[in-house]
Amino acid sequence: MPERVHIDTDFLIIGGGTAGCLAAWEARRVGGPDVAITILEKAFIRHSGCLSAGMNALNMYINEGTPEDYVSYVRYDMCGAPVREDIILSVAREVNETVAIMEKAGLPMKKKEDGRYLNRGKWNIEINGSMLKPITASMAQAANARIFNRVYVTNILVKDGRAAGAVGFGVRDGKFYVVRARAVLLSAGGAAGLWRPANHGDAHHRMWYFPFNTGGGYAMCKRAGCEMTGFDQRLVTVRTKDTYSPTGTLQIGMGAPMVNARGEAFMRDYPEYIKWGGHTAPTQIRLLGFCRETENNRGPVYIDTSKGDPYKVAGLKSQYLDMSPSLVLYWGCNDINPSKEPVEIDAADPAVVGAHAGMSGAWTPKEDRMTTLPGLFVSGDALGGAPSRFISGTWTCGRIAARHCIEWIKNQPDLAELDPAEIDAQEELSFRPARNYEELANSGFWTDGALKEGINPKQMEDRMQRIMEDYCGGWTRMFNVSEPYLKVARKLLERLRKTQLQYLAAKDLHELQLAWDVLNRLEVCQLVVEHISHRKETRYPGAVNRTDYPDCSEEYDCFVNSVWNPVTDEITFNKRPYVQIVPGDRKKQTI
Amino acid sequence: MPPKVDPVKCDGCQGEGEPLCEQVCPGNLMTLETETKKAFCRDAGDCWDCMTCTKACPRQAIQTQLQYQLAFFPGKLMPLVGTNSVTWTSIDCHGRVERFVIKTITGDDDEDED
Repeated sequence: MPERVHIDTDFLIIGGGTAGCLAAWEARRVGGPDVAITILEKAFIRHSGCLSAGMNALNMYINEGTPEDYVSYVRYDMCGAPVREDIILSVAREVNETVAIMEKAGLPMKKKEDGRYLNRGKWNIEINGSMLKPITASMAQAANARIFNRVYVTNILVKDGRAAGAVGFGVRDGKFYVVRARAVLLSAGGAAGLWRPANHGDAHHRMWYFPFNTGGGYAMCKRAGCEMTGFDQRLVTVRTKDTYSPTGTLQIGMGAPMVNARGEAFMRDYPEYIKWGGHTAPTQIRLLGFCRETENNRGPVYIDTSKGDPYKVAGLKSQYLDMSPSLVLYWGCNDINPSKEPVEIDAADPAVVGAHAGMSGAWTPKEDRMTTLPGLFVSGDALGGAPSRFISGTWTCGRIAARHCIEWIKNQPDLAELDPAEIDAQEELSFRPARNYEELANSGFWTDGALKEGINPKQMEDRMQRIMEDYCGGWTRMFNVSEPYLKVARKLLERLRKTQLQYLAAKDLHELQLAWDVLNRLEVCQLVVEHISHRKETRYPGAVNRTDYPDCSEEYDCFVNSVWNPVTDEITFNKRPYVQIVPGDRKKQTI
Repeated sequence: MPPKVDPVKCDGCQGEGEPLCEQVCPGNLMTLETETKKAFCRDAGDCWDCMTCTKACPRQAIQTQLQYQLAFFPGKLMPLVGTNSVTWTSIDCHGRVERFVIKTITGDDDEDED
């Protein structure tokens, strides 16, 4: 039996990332010195998550115009799809203030001669962000939050219809953590690695999105009975070939166009793409353009840096060292000089996110970031329907969520009395893959050390990724999907989830983490397949091409939300209306 | 770009409760070999190339290399972390050396800024 660690706190934050750290800081600021703040972090808070390699720009900042103009940009970038304008607006109103707070905390900002931040267009500013995560974590430390590193949270505790805390296991100490809280903020990351990665073998994690974000936040919300939204959309980005490094530095930073093998700047010059916005068309339209050029044998496709400003090209390597250093080595080892030749690009494998140009997450009926489970709040990638908050908006979104959590706590004087049988059951569930290993070991091992009767987490991950790739519109299918394929995905995933988990075996704590990664991913896969199947239209061209419903339908001009039934394993859907706050044509930007 | 650890330079961070590379890895990939007490990456393919371990190593024992399927050999990229900046040395396949000094944090002591 694992040793138990009992923690009582006022405010529990799950995930010490971009949103979680700033939530802790804001909770201390508004909640005062007596509020107990606890963070459970899967890795080590100073270097965990998406920001671990750094980032060279903040993609949300109001350089010109108003917060309303930013909302219009976000929905334009989603091709006019419904977005939560209330949430995005609340973030846009505070984002500049948050950036100033972070500058004061030590984040090096690049500035123009007049002292203003060095901007890339209307919504983006450049930074020296290689230490972005340690600086972000310092905010949680300054708030005197109690931080538990290397604790993998497995479930939200629900008592009397509200969130009562969370449980998880220690990745290093193997202990079982039981936390009671008055308010719970889930600020875990999105989900990478649902589909088979474009790179294989010893490079399979050389992907754009952070591979250790494995959908735990979404899975926990789903299992807790929360209403979920936006899993019918996914983020597919066009990135530098092989390394899948971000391309904003090339496209926005240098104004370098995408070109096909003939040298044609197709987004800028082809009438069909001019109609969609040309060079600055929405993210998924640029993806669609890339896919069409490739499918029509006009590839390879490049970003033409060779005709850019030579001064800016010289600075490219420095900028990538702040964010994706492997690209600099890649250029050095492949004789590539981006000032003399274009940089080849490729579509990355899909990721499911809420804070980048993604729609997925828990549904929050009001602007207060509370899910449909009272006492459970979400921010960052866990919050759905409000894309393009990026890093600076996610810091801000964490702050806003924390203020609502502190308000909630005022009316929650008591911690819940937990049912010991429920906690025993949660412990059993958390350690199940490790116990499977112990039990299956009785059947013996092959000469290579593998269990005769079990499978390891990697094997199950490969199986899951193959199903999603082949039957849910992966990279090799050019993101095309239709009901006959989805039907196969549904059948195979159900088989995997219902009959195969008994063989999933973890030989040590690291494998227990990997086992939970695949368990959580499987939960998200079910959401993705059912949501895409339910939305019988192509609302997100490029990223989700429903070949059986190639057009946009008025019937689905809304949010598609779902709730999972733990008894029947069925997902039921309901539509939530889109509320337009900022007037104007949704497919056009106001500035 | 999986991390490779030089057995001569790595001392397993003797005296630390946990070697620094093991402490910082976001993917929980760095660990000590039980007999030699030297660090290694338990699964090179699982590394995201964030280079956090490489920057954190107090003995500069870790070098990150690109997977051979992605890049020709040889070639190196080495960070040296200072108080307020990081100095990168890039040596391409043909031995050409480039250095980059990049600010990492603003502080009172800005003497090693670029």
